[in-house]
Amino acid sequence: MKHIVKIMTLLVAISALWVGLLQTSMVPRSHALLLPIYFVVCLGCYGLLMVGVGLMQFPTCPQEAVLLQQDIIEAKKYLKPRGVDVGFD
Amino acid sequence: MQLADRAVGFLLSFISISIFTYYTFWVIILPFVDSDHFIHQYFLPQEFAILIPVFAGVVLLCFLWVFVGFVMLKSKKKKA
Repeated sequence: MKHIVKIMTLLVAISALWVGLLQTSMVPRSHALLLPIYFVVCLGCYGLLMVGVGLMQFPTCPQEAVLLQQDIIEAKKYLKPRGVDVGFD
Repeated sequence: MQLADRAVGFLLSFISISIFTYYTFWVIILPFVDSDHFIHQYFLPQEFAILIPVFAGVVLLCFLWVFVGFVMLKSKKKKA
């Protein structure tokens, strides 16, 4: 419940800012009217950028992969004479 | 394997950055430029700056809801 209250207050603050910006004509009017769409597009872009950057920096740990394969082989060898069927070979 | 991941990640970030710069230019900078500058011919008329994101958002929502309905129908058919 607390998390959605936080998000709601953030949204209310941003819309209050936008309405305030519309009332006092510091920015030209057509600009201020386009701001919400601009922010939504910005947010989508930012999410996509974070996904791309995370993909690029994802660590693969090749040594751990080799150790894992060895562990799998060992486990299969241990379980097979005890009658447990774990293989798909 | 790792190279394919990196290529896809780079492509995604490139697309997102280019969309961001194009849209920023379109919405914020272009109205301040005189209307007979040559740069205006690289950008579509300003009404499209609103239509295209709204249209894309509506298409995305439709796609999501159709997908949810499809999955629900399939699960109901399997149970019956």
